[in-house]
Amino acid sequence: MRDKIFNTIINSLFSLLAVGLFYNQVIRAPLFMQLSQNNRIRVIQLSAPRGKILDRNGKVVAGNRVRLDCVIMPQEFIDKENGFSRLSSILGMPEDVLKKRFNRRLLNPFTPVVLAPDISKENAITIEEERFNMPGVFINANPIRDYVYKDAAAQLVGYIGEIGQKELDKLDRYGYRVNDLVGRSGIEEEYDNYLRGEDGGMQIEVDSKGKQNRVLGLKEPKEGRDVYLTVDIELQKYISELFGEGRGACVVMNPANGEILSLVSKPSFDPNVFVVPDNFKIKEILSGKSHPMLDRAISCAYPPGSIFKIAVATAALEERKLSTDREFICNGKFHLGNQVFDCWKENGHGPQNVINALKNSCNVFFYNTGMLLGPDLIAKYSQKFGFGRPTGIDLPQETSGLVPNKLWKRIKMGETWYNGETANYGIGQGYLLTTPIQVLGMTAAVANGGFLVRPHIVKRIASVDISAGSIRKLGISDNSLDVVTTSLRKVVEDDNGTGVKARVKGLSIAGKTGTAQTGRGTTHAWFVGFSPVDKPKVALVVLLEEGGKGGLNAAIMGGKIFKKAQELGLL
Amino acid sequence: MIYKQRFENFDFTLLLVALCIFCIGLLSIYSATRTQEVELSKSLVTKQLISIVISLVVFTILVSFDYQKYIDFSYFIYAVSLFLLVLVLFIGRTKFGAQRWFNLGPFTFQPSEFAKLALVITLASHIGKRRVYDLSLSTVIMSILLTIPMMFLIAIEPDLGTALVLAAILFSMLYMGGIRLKHLVSIMLTGLVSLPIFWHYALRDYQKQRLLVFLNPNADPLGAGYTIIQSKIAIGSGWVFGKGWLAGTQNQLNFLPERHSDFIFSIIGEEWGFLGSAILVLLYFILIKHALSIYSRTNDSYGQLMVSGIVGMLAFQIVVNIAMTLGLMPVVGIPLPLMSYGGSSLIITMSSIALLINIGMRRTVF
Repeated sequence: MRDKIFNTIINSLFSLLAVGLFYNQVIRAPLFMQLSQNNRIRVIQLSAPRGKILDRNGKVVAGNRVRLDCVIMPQEFIDKENGFSRLSSILGMPEDVLKKRFNRRLLNPFTPVVLAPDISKENAITIEEERFNMPGVFINANPIRDYVYKDAAAQLVGYIGEIGQKELDKLDRYGYRVNDLVGRSGIEEEYDNYLRGEDGGMQIEVDSKGKQNRVLGLKEPKEGRDVYLTVDIELQKYISELFGEGRGACVVMNPANGEILSLVSKPSFDPNVFVVPDNFKIKEILSGKSHPMLDRAISCAYPPGSIFKIAVATAALEERKLSTDREFICNGKFHLGNQVFDCWKENGHGPQNVINALKNSCNVFFYNTGMLLGPDLIAKYSQKFGFGRPTGIDLPQETSGLVPNKLWKRIKMGETWYNGETANYGIGQGYLLTTPIQVLGMTAAVANGGFLVRPHIVKRIASVDISAGSIRKLGISDNSLDVVTTSLRKVVEDDNGTGVKARVKGLSIAGKTGTAQTGRGTTHAWFVGFSPVDKPKVALVVLLEEGGKGGLNAAIMGGKIFKKAQELGLL
Repeated sequence: MIYKQRFENFDFTLLLVALCIFCIGLLSIYSATRTQEVELSKSLVTKQLISIVISLVVFTILVSFDYQKYIDFSYFIYAVSLFLLVLVLFIGRTKFGAQRWFNLGPFTFQPSEFAKLALVITLASHIGKRRVYDLSLSTVIMSILLTIPMMFLIAIEPDLGTALVLAAILFSMLYMGGIRLKHLVSIMLTGLVSLPIFWHYALRDYQKQRLLVFLNPNADPLGAGYTIIQSKIAIGSGWVFGKGWLAGTQNQLNFLPERHSDFIFSIIGEEWGFLGSAILVLLYFILIKHALSIYSRTNDSYGQLMVSGIVGMLAFQIVVNIAMTLGLMPVVGIPLPLMSYGGSSLIITMSSIALLINIGMRRTVF
């Protein structure tokens, strides 16, 4: 009797085992097979190096360098006391700072903790040599972005940062993933698609300690494409240094085809700060009162001041409101109703024709000319010269500026246009707002015989030439342009021209200065110019925020830049 | 001493099945240790081979004498076993935080293994002598009193698993020896009531941890629960046909701790699949069934009691060990008979099989 019960107990226990085995090894096998795969297979992302950004002569502007991080694998980091004290003396950082950092960044025993990012090569070698005394400590090498010229071309080149959730939502179908680096502003943003490579991956088999056993599969990362700029980085650097502490912008362009040779905005910032994120410095940049990240050459609109007289003169000549014989007499004042408008020269310029008026930048002459044209015609020619809309330069965040006319004022302000505003319009003041790049576009159009070129900054991507920009004929007669060009040449070359300070020995230069009221009692200083006058190769615009008179520092800078361009073989 | 007629009753199947299981174990031990160090692997397989040779010598000796002789010496055997258990607490070798082994040159000897067999013989002698129709309470209490010192000494080594094996031996022998059901129930109730006291005062922290982890392995996936989880993954991922000998990734890549000893079954499960593990379980089943058939063919109560104790011991170890690797029972350190690495366990298991065959051979003694 009892042996039968005993037998039954044994039978049922073994049946239980059989059922347990069947359940685990047959019914639930897929789950466990998956888990066992997860156990042993790790996918390691191999990040593709980003394409380089090079200048017109092949100099690297933004490249890649190897960043060395001191990393700790918590699971293997057994001898903490010894480890921290050694690392502290190698890295020259206090022990408790390292400990705090380690504890703050510790997620779980398997995830490496970056203890010290971007350490020097010497330190990395020392740590490598002592690795056997410090189990769990190792050096990780990653390619990262290196902005060689630091702040000289910051707004132009842009910077990179980790992709944000908003961007990710927009871009994930283009293959962007969390933690990807994405270009922010400048060329990095505009050409991100080409610069970013295609990440690869490696499937490796690991053992229980996460140590690599063998490679199961490999997808090679595809390097991003190199982008070649039209910019001459040496000129760029030179201009950047010319500014010193000053604020403003300067753009240099080949007026024949729109190739940007330099595009400087000041103050600037070092984009490397964003590569190995240094939160303190980033905060400093973002909260800076002078907005160093702003590209003043394309994203800020200013009143053009006297520079605008080029457009007004051209308009009057084209509309036959003026001929070269027509003179206005400047006695320093212009009366309109009971309003009085001043010329900048208190005693007046005397009788002025259009050529002299441009050379002397006589306000009275252009008050009169403005009145002859009326706001709508001035607006029409402004728009012809490219004001009021983006030039289409291949950089993000270009602004349109503002070209006012009667209709605009009625809609925007619900008021009629006053005659006084027309007079002011004639000298480039009032509601009118222009960006330095637009001003340069106008200058180039005068220089190249009436063509509006699209400024561009990228010559080719890898081996594909993309420089063929659009060129549009403005339909302005050669006659009018000749008159304007002659006048502008006198601005620099006549001894009493307003832009005489821009003169460079051995170069024929045409130019125009401008001193724009800011409405706060200070003035922005402008200078535009091109050279050589007959067959221009270089056109430039200089804007100094609150820089006093255009004929002074702005013109001096213009001259220096022409000289440097000549030295660099651009002229 | 072995008469021809008796030799005819020698249960070759039992021995063959046992050796078969041993060979499977040997292959698994090789597979389990191969990746760590070739030298170590070789030495473990060699040691296990030496152990089987010793086992077979012991086997032959034990089969040669009538098992009644062992009953005669039972109290001497009991005394020696108890003495060794006390001795190991003083001069034993400490490994994994437990003091269970004597050092004998390159080998170690585990007195708790010997205690299992000693208990079987002692209880057989004690109960068999007094067995009439049903067991008197005094016999029952005396049996318990004989078991408790051994259990206690083993439990404080600590070796909870083996202590539980002793309990299994006691219960199966009392049951088959004819304990009254009301006595059995009261013993069980007493045990149940004393469980909380046991939990508080007798269990070490790591043992409590293991029991808690059994209830929820994911509570501590990197600590105590790790072994169960990895073992389940290993067995489950073997699927029907297994990943092949030496090809189990859980095993070869070191995800399984203690895999050449207590968790050796997970290697079978992973590398040989459901097919292989089912065959192994079947072999164990045949082993137990043969033992039980010897029980029914024997009229001698000493022999029957010894068979009951040995069957209880083996079945308990097999079922608990495999169920533990499947996550069906808490992790208690019990070796899988004939499979797990370890000389003492192998020799004692082979000895108990020798006793079974011995009893089977001499059933017509009367």
